[in-house]
Amino acid sequence: MNNDFLVAKGVTKRFGALTALSGIDLTIRSGEVLALLGDNGAGKSTFIKVVSGAHPPSDGTILIEGQPVSFNSPKDAADAGIATIFQELALSENLSISENVFLGRELTNTVLGVPFLRRNEMKQRVAGLLDELDADISDAEAPVGSLSGGQRQAVAICRALNLNARLVIMDEPTAALAVAETRKVLGLTRRLAERGCAVVLISHNISDVFEVADRMVVFRRGRKVAERLRNETTPEEIVALITGAHPDVRALEKAS
Amino acid sequence: MNASVRTIGLNGRELLLLAACALAIVVFSIAAPAFGTPANAATILRNSVELLLIGLGMTFILAMGGIDVSIGIVMGLAAIAVGKLLEGGAPVPIAALAGPLAGMALGLITAAVVVLGRIPAIVGTLGLLGVYRTAIFVALGGQWLSGLPTGLTELLYARPLGIPVSAWIIAIAYLAAWLALRRTPYGPHLLAIGNAEEKARLSGIAVTRVRFATFVASGFLAGVAATFYVATYRNVEMSIGSTLALDAIAAVVLGGTSILGGRCSLIGTVLGVLLLRILQNGLLLIGVPSLWQTVVTGALLIGVLGMEAAAGRLKFSSIGQAAR
Ligand SMILES: Nc1ncnc2c1ncn2[C@@H]1O[C@H](COP(=O)(O)OP(=O)(O)OP(=O)(O)O)[C@@H](O)[C@H]1O
Ligand SMILES: [Mg+2]
Repeated sequence: MNNDFLVAKGVTKRFGALTALSGIDLTIRSGEVLALLGDNGAGKSTFIKVVSGAHPPSDGTILIEGQPVSFNSPKDAADAGIATIFQELALSENLSISENVFLGRELTNTVLGVPFLRRNEMKQRVAGLLDELDADISDAEAPVGSLSGGQRQAVAICRALNLNARLVIMDEPTAALAVAETRKVLGLTRRLAERGCAVVLISHNISDVFEVADRMVVFRRGRKVAERLRNETTPEEIVALITGAHPDVRALEKAS
Repeated sequence: MNASVRTIGLNGRELLLLAACALAIVVFSIAAPAFGTPANAATILRNSVELLLIGLGMTFILAMGGIDVSIGIVMGLAAIAVGKLLEGGAPVPIAALAGPLAGMALGLITAAVVVLGRIPAIVGTLGLLGVYRTAIFVALGGQWLSGLPTGLTELLYARPLGIPVSAWIIAIAYLAAWLALRRTPYGPHLLAIGNAEEKARLSGIAVTRVRFATFVASGFLAGVAATFYVATYRNVEMSIGSTLALDAIAAVVLGGTSILGGRCSLIGTVLGVLLLRILQNGLLLIGVPSLWQTVVTGALLIGVLGMEAAAGRLKFSSIGQAAR
C-alpha cells in the first residue's frame, strides 16, 4: 500500500539573493511522524511555510496523493487537508477556545443571506475534541490568552483535527513547554499519527524526536543532507548530521 | 462579583462609565438649573445620534486595529449631497437615501486607499481628511447651506409604535452591529485581525475582504448620520463634522474598545458617547466657552489611553499594527 501523502520534488525558495531552500526532495507519509531537524536558519520553517501555502516556492513541485498542487494561500493548503501549527502559534489570544478552533471555518445557518453562527454546536464539538485529546481544559469558552503553552498547543491540534487535516505540521511545539506539558504534547503527536494523520514535527530536542518520530530528515543551510529511520540511527549520528561533523555531510558540502 | 455583573451584562469598565454618567448628571444638575430639564435631556440625546452612529462604525474600525480620522468630514460631504438635493427640489426619499449612498461611496474610497493601497490607516485617512476639507469648501462655495426645505425634517416627527424615528435608527443600527459582532463569523474575524493580522491570515480569514467591508460599513453609518443631521438642523455649515472623528475615537476608547485592536464593546461605545455629550452640554451650561469642548475631549482621550498604558493593557511598541 502506498502511504505517500505529500511528495516534494526539488523545492527551492529564494528570498532575494538568499537561497533559504534548495532542491528539497521529501516524502511525507500518512500514519507516520516525520521529524525535520536542523540548525537555526537551516530552512525548516521556510520548508513548511512553502508546504502550507504561506510562501510560494521559487522552484520545484509539490504533489499531494500524486497530483501536482500549487497553493496561493494557507486556505488552499487547508482545503487540501494540510494544517500547520506554526512556531509562533497562529491562535488569537483575545478569542475563546471554540472561536479559535473554528476560526475561518465557522459553522453557520444562513437566514436571509446572513450567516449566523451555530454556537452551541461548535462549543459541543470543541468540548468533545478536548475530551478526546485528554487536554485538561474544562471550559471551551475560556479565552486562549488565559491558557498555558501546552494547552495552547492542544487548542491548535484541536483546530487541525477539526479541519479534518490529513497532514498536521508542528513547528517546535514543545520549545516553550515544561517537562510534563512536553510529554503531553508528544503524546498528542503520536495519537495524531495513530489516527492515520501524516505528522511533521520540527524540533531541536533530539530526545523528543527519538521518542515520537518514525523517520528523520536533516536540513543544513537550505539543503536536505540526510534521511534516517529511527531504528537505523542514533542520537549521536543525528547530532553529527545537524552540526555538519558527519562524514556524509562533509562529503556533500565539499562536492558543492 | 463576576456573576452578578454578568447578569446585567456589563463589565467593570462599563459600570464605571455608567457611574460617571450618573455623577456628571448629578453635578451638572446642581451647578446649572437648565441642565436637569426634560428639554435639555432631549437636546443631549438628539446631539448624540450622529456620534452614536459614527461611534458604532469607529468601534469596528478600532477593533480591527484600524482608525479613521476622516469620518467626520465624510459625514459632512454626505450631508452636502443631501442638502444640495433638497435645495434643488429633489424628492425627499431620494435626498434621504443620498446620505447613506454618498457615505458608502466615500467609505469605498477610504477602503481602496487604506486596504487595497496598503497605506497605514492613520496616514491614509489623514490624507483623505486633507482632500475632503477642501472638497467641502469647494462644494459649499464658501457659503452655508441653510433654510433647507422641511420635507426631510417632517420624517423625524413620525413616531412608529410611539417611538421617535431617531430612536428606531439607533436601535436598528445597534442591533445590526451587535448581531454582526456576536452572532456571525464577521465578529471573531474582525477581532482576530485586530489581535494580529498575520495570524488571522494564516487562519484562513479573508483579511482584505473583512477590512474593506468594515470601512464601507463605517462610511454607510456616517452617511445615515448625514441624513439625520440635515433633517435635524436643516443646514450644512462649513465646519460640519470637523470634531466628530475626535469625538468618536474618544467615546469609543472611553467605552473600552482597544485603540490597538482586538477588543471592543458596543455598549461601552454607547455609554462613552453619552458621557461625552453630557459633559459637553453640561460644561456649556455652566458657562465654559464651547471652544473648550475639544480640549475636554482630547484630554479625556489622552487620559484614558495613559491610564490603560500604565495598567499595562496597551503596548505602544505595537503601534505599527494599530496604524494599519
Ligand atoms: N520572509 C523571509 N524573508 C527573508 N529571509 C527569510 C524569510 N524567512 C526566512 N528567511 C531566511 O531563510 C533562512 C531559513 O530560515 P528558517 O526560518 O526556515 O530557519 P529554521 O530552520 O526554521 O530555523 P529555526 O530553527 O531558527 O527556526 C534564514 O536565513 C532566514 O533568515
Ligand atoms: Mg523555524
